[in-house]
Amino acid sequence: MGLREYIIRRLILVIPIILGAILLVFLITQLFTPEQRAFLYLKNPEKTKPEDIEATILMYGLNRSAFEQFWNWLNQLIQGNLGMSRTYVERGPVMQVMLTRWPATIELALFIAPITILLGIFLGVKSAVHRDKLLDHATRLIAIGGYSLPSFWLGLVLISITVLFTSAIFGSAWNPFGRVSLANQHIIRNAQMFTRYTGMLTLDGILNGLLNGRPWGYQIAFDAFLHLILPVTVVSTINVGGLLRLTRSSMLEALTKGYIITAKAKGLKMSEVINRHARRNALIPVVTVAGMMVAGLMSGLVITETVFQFEGVGRWAAEAATGGERGAPDVASVVGFTFFTAFLFIFANLIVDILYAYIDPRIRLG
Amino acid sequence: MAYKKIETFIKELKYSPTLKELKFMLHRVRQSPLSMLGSIIIIFFALVAILAPYLAPPNPDWDVTAYPGKSPFILPRTGFVPEPQPPSPTHPFGLTSESFDIYYGCVWGTITAFRVGITVVAATLIIGLSIGLLAAYYGGIIDEILMRFTDVIIVFPGLILALAFALAIPDKFDIKLGDVLPICSVIFTIITVTQFISKRQISWKWILMENLTLVCILTSTLIYFGNFPNVGIASITMTKLDKVLAALILVGWPGYARVIRGEVLRIRNEDYVEAAKAAGCSDFRIMVRHILPNAIYPIVILASLDIGSIVLLAAALSFLRVGAEANFADWGQLVEKSRVYLGSGASFIRYWYIWVIPGAFIFVFSLGWNLLGDALRDILDPTLRRR
Repeated sequence: MGLREYIIRRLILVIPIILGAILLVFLITQLFTPEQRAFLYLKNPEKTKPEDIEATILMYGLNRSAFEQFWNWLNQLIQGNLGMSRTYVERGPVMQVMLTRWPATIELALFIAPITILLGIFLGVKSAVHRDKLLDHATRLIAIGGYSLPSFWLGLVLISITVLFTSAIFGSAWNPFGRVSLANQHIIRNAQMFTRYTGMLTLDGILNGLLNGRPWGYQIAFDAFLHLILPVTVVSTINVGGLLRLTRSSMLEALTKGYIITAKAKGLKMSEVINRHARRNALIPVVTVAGMMVAGLMSGLVITETVFQFEGVGRWAAEAATGGERGAPDVASVVGFTFFTAFLFIFANLIVDILYAYIDPRIRLG
Repeated sequence: MAYKKIETFIKELKYSPTLKELKFMLHRVRQSPLSMLGSIIIIFFALVAILAPYLAPPNPDWDVTAYPGKSPFILPRTGFVPEPQPPSPTHPFGLTSESFDIYYGCVWGTITAFRVGITVVAATLIIGLSIGLLAAYYGGIIDEILMRFTDVIIVFPGLILALAFALAIPDKFDIKLGDVLPICSVIFTIITVTQFISKRQISWKWILMENLTLVCILTSTLIYFGNFPNVGIASITMTKLDKVLAALILVGWPGYARVIRGEVLRIRNEDYVEAAKAAGCSDFRIMVRHILPNAIYPIVILASLDIGSIVLLAAALSFLRVGAEANFADWGQLVEKSRVYLGSGASFIRYWYIWVIPGAFIFVFSLGWNLLGDALRDILDPTLRRR
């Protein structure tokens, strides 16, 4: 079986999972009351009267059997309608709100993923090579401490440490909340002073400086970068542990293989044996975990963005779940977000599996 | 006679490989300092949970009739001061806004943490075990169907799906005949078809099963397309904590099902299973007496040590305000009470005791389970253990 055949087979396998995910999300909507479900269809949820809700329930058959409702819901889904969000300033179709908030989360994830993966692999290999030595115990403690920490608590601790330090050194406390500081927020909101190319502020700032000749662009990029440091630290600390432990055990297994003994017997240097022979083979299973990490990342980002008041999808979903100040949960947003993350995960796993087959021929040939 | 049986049992126990393994495991645990630290932490928390009524006695004067819940888990209120109060001799960990005692919450929160962890782990294990076992043992179409279920749930990020479930599950749950019968008919159909395929002979048991399946299918069709009364069977009222537990269970089982399936697939082709089949054991007996004892042992130990991560997930839900009832003794909720002050750094640091102490409880509790679990993972791994 060639790589192309493998990709086609893998794509076919995705279809039942997507159908299953649609069905599961539908089952979740079925657990809500008809009144709550009506919010999936209301065009202007802010100004709805009780009789409007009644009319919507009758119109879409929300109190009829599950089969009819599923059909109606699927029709809406195919048209791209996930309902109207009523959380926060950006009220509008759920899809649109998610897409406008998406770049901020991507920016965060793009900083987190490489740091976590590189650090995890580096420490994992080191602790496997120095098994049961001081270094191994130290990294083990770091890893276990990392995944035992409640991410929200770590965020709170880091915030207060930063505030204490900055107020001691500079006299006034530096505000770690949000994506940029208050003064720069005014510049960003002004379309004449700041053009949004990608929505990722560090990149946009540099692009504004380079393409439009705006010197404050660099300043905004630096400011946005400073605001990224704390959330990135939190999510990386939480996620690095799992990757570290996996790399360690996979590396320990690789070190017992026959080809390592052969390499040693040939008289290769120990660093050569580890880097060229053991690590390459140990990293193959680690690739799959990088795909699974997307899920952990999304879960972590929901909490971290809430703590740091970072304007990404995660915080929006968390606020939607409690309904902000109004109390009642925003069903349309929560359901839409759940759906969205599932698709993201399926897509990420698809790419990782294809990558895996590319790296390890045993998968596609076996 | 009975005495003799017990005597031989004890004699056999002395040479039983399972016991030997357990002794070896305990020996290794005692050797590693990190796992000893983990056990000490867990024993400490267990003591706190057991001694909670003495460490933080519920106030007898406290007027329970003023509150909907009479349980000691609802935090007692000592006043109506809007500002949090720093630690003092009467309230060693301080008071939150509106004068809720943090020390009381931390002590009784230990029981909540154990309750959440143990309930969720036990339930996910039972569900995961039965589904993984069935899927791996029968294989074929049953494996395909059951594993697609787990695939679908694993696709969703845990916290987000748990959040959606915790919001969606209604307070009052009416189970009607029309909900149960379709599920029953699907399960019975699978059982009858596979029994027929594997045995290729018709016994009276099979005929009974087949008739039951037909009745189920017929009744559910009548309910949905005819006028058969859709009778309510049971109605369950769920507190907010129950909803969180249910959500965590629904999200958690597929992970175990996958692991157990892999383990059973390995064991299924062992010689002793073949021997049991040849001796004419029933499928149920082979699964429960021959496969389970060989697959379950490491998995149960490892799963029980996942309590730490489950408590973390529950605390995260509480922090997102989708947790237990208001003012319930729950560590996550105590930390959540500090979210109001997050806007300004100064007041947030001034009221440090609201979030530092309960957060440290969550961290140390989870750390204890993870320390022990991590050490056992290495000890139980047969490829690494005796080197």
